[in-house]
Amino acid sequence: MKRLANLPTGALLFILLLAIIFPFAPLSLYYTHVMILIFIWAAVTTAWSYMARFGMISLCHGAWMGIAAYTSVLLFNFYHLSPWMGMWLGLLGVAIAAGVIGYACFRFGLIGHYFAVTTLVITELVALVIIAFRHITGGRLGLSVKPLGTAPLYFQFESKVPFYFAALALLLLSLYIWRKIDQSKAQKALAAIGEDEVAASSIGINVVRYKTGVAVISALVTGMGGIVYGQYIMYLNPITMVSIGASLVIVFMGILGGMLTLWGPMVGAILMTGLQEYIRIAYGTVLMGWAWVAYGVIIVVMIIFLPEGLHGTLIEALHKRRMRKAARV
Amino acid sequence: MVLLNAIVSGILFGGSLALLAYGLNLCFGVVQVIHFFYGQCVMLGLYIIYSATVLWHIPLIVSCLIAVAAIIILNVVVQLAVVQPLLKAPMINQFLALASIMTILENSAMGIWGATYKGVPISLPVLTIGEIYIRTSNLIAFVGCLIVVGLLYLFLNKTYTGLAIRATAQDKEMASLTGMNPRIVYVITLALVGALAGVVAAFFVPIYPVHPHFGGPFTVMAFVIVILGGMGNLAGGFLAAFIIGVVTMVVSFLTIPEGGPIAVYLIFLVVIVFRPQGLLGVRERTG
Repeated sequence: MKRLANLPTGALLFILLLAIIFPFAPLSLYYTHVMILIFIWAAVTTAWSYMARFGMISLCHGAWMGIAAYTSVLLFNFYHLSPWMGMWLGLLGVAIAAGVIGYACFRFGLIGHYFAVTTLVITELVALVIIAFRHITGGRLGLSVKPLGTAPLYFQFESKVPFYFAALALLLLSLYIWRKIDQSKAQKALAAIGEDEVAASSIGINVVRYKTGVAVISALVTGMGGIVYGQYIMYLNPITMVSIGASLVIVFMGILGGMLTLWGPMVGAILMTGLQEYIRIAYGTVLMGWAWVAYGVIIVVMIIFLPEGLHGTLIEALHKRRMRKAARV
Repeated sequence: MVLLNAIVSGILFGGSLALLAYGLNLCFGVVQVIHFFYGQCVMLGLYIIYSATVLWHIPLIVSCLIAVAAIIILNVVVQLAVVQPLLKAPMINQFLALASIMTILENSAMGIWGATYKGVPISLPVLTIGEIYIRTSNLIAFVGCLIVVGLLYLFLNKTYTGLAIRATAQDKEMASLTGMNPRIVYVITLALVGALAGVVAAFFVPIYPVHPHFGGPFTVMAFVIVILGGMGNLAGGFLAAFIIGVVTMVVSFLTIPEGGPIAVYLIFLVVIVFRPQGLLGVRERTG
């Protein structure tokens, strides 16, 4: 099962090489833009799946993106602090928020849909606080990053290529952490916790520590995604980035691709971001709403018939076929 | 004196919230599913009433009935097509499926009616008692919602169908042993829940203009009330609705408009962490 979830090293290196030369190919800049969005969302969704694959469905990943991005952008706009420095403060904020909330939730045994609802309320809370401090954050109108042209020291570039590599690096980091967690003792512990918390703690697994730990790691990577997104788009909005909608986008990508495998969240991010951009370009924003209706229907159907997601189901089917072949031989 | 005004409008607001939370609670108590698109049902009801009265010139009362019927149909369809196949699935799958329906409804509304505020122009007088001003529309909603809650209570306690619903909520296996079909009971419950959302929409017509994201805060608000009162605990939910109503209005009045919801969410976080069984609930979990 484990080998099946991973592509052979050669193929992996080939894909990576393609990804590296992609921005230099004679293609329209627009494709680079789409790839950047895909990388960022894939990284964030993968980070979300660190928790989700063990049964912790978080609906506050949009809030983590927002906290990190707003901290770094506000520090830059008001104190001219470089995002390279501000991002650490933003990530610190995210880590503290995720740690405190995670600890409180896990210490008092909030699981399943109780946890989902709590995180949902946290998302709304963060969005409302951002809106409430409208004299600093711009409220519902959003917040623009002060443009400096190309200023590498301030994480601003006119070209898309540096952002492309930043997003790619983030995605690789996110996937790498997924693998690290998967290979570590934490994976076994978290899997046991996901099955039965009481049983897991009875054999000496520190449930609260493992769960809080993975929640903080997941929030940190998500926060980085928020910062890269903010610096790239140069505009933050509490409705599109922080509120329920944004957090649900991450969840939908995860479910669509499958949250149990390494590549699942990425498949979901590619499909959804790609389709979204295609519809936006081909049919304009009017159809965007209807595209979301279609996504909603697809997600409902997926949850009913393919709860493991597209990638997960595919892997399962391949696995079964191989097992059958092996049995025949 | 202005603070008193805020308290009075909070109590009036609490009436509508009580009805909202009653529906959510009923759904949770009987079908054991979190009705995640509840506020969106209200939003849809408001839009239907708007279309019927303003665009097609149907009398207001008739269009309210149309809206209630439409929301009932929507809920029954969702119950049969989505909730029924997922009844045995993990809770989180049901939750996500219903969250997707929320997305479907919000974006459909955006596609059909656009993103601007839509409202039915009704102007009702403002009552003055001493220095307290009361909008008649709020008063009508308050009284109306209380009457509907009362009727619902009678229905659940005095009629055969109501008793079947309560029996299923208490013990599904036992209820089906005595000849009640849980599937039919679930459908009836969802129809009832839909009717409640439709009624709330009807009472909201003179109070709020509607926009596609109108429902979200109400879903969360109703949810907070249900948790605060204890899930499945109808009396607790009733009490909590008024607490939340007053807190929202008073805090919003004392600070900024966003202050009310922020205070409500903070209360929710404290309650769900330290007293997940709710104010009047009985602690069941041992973990």
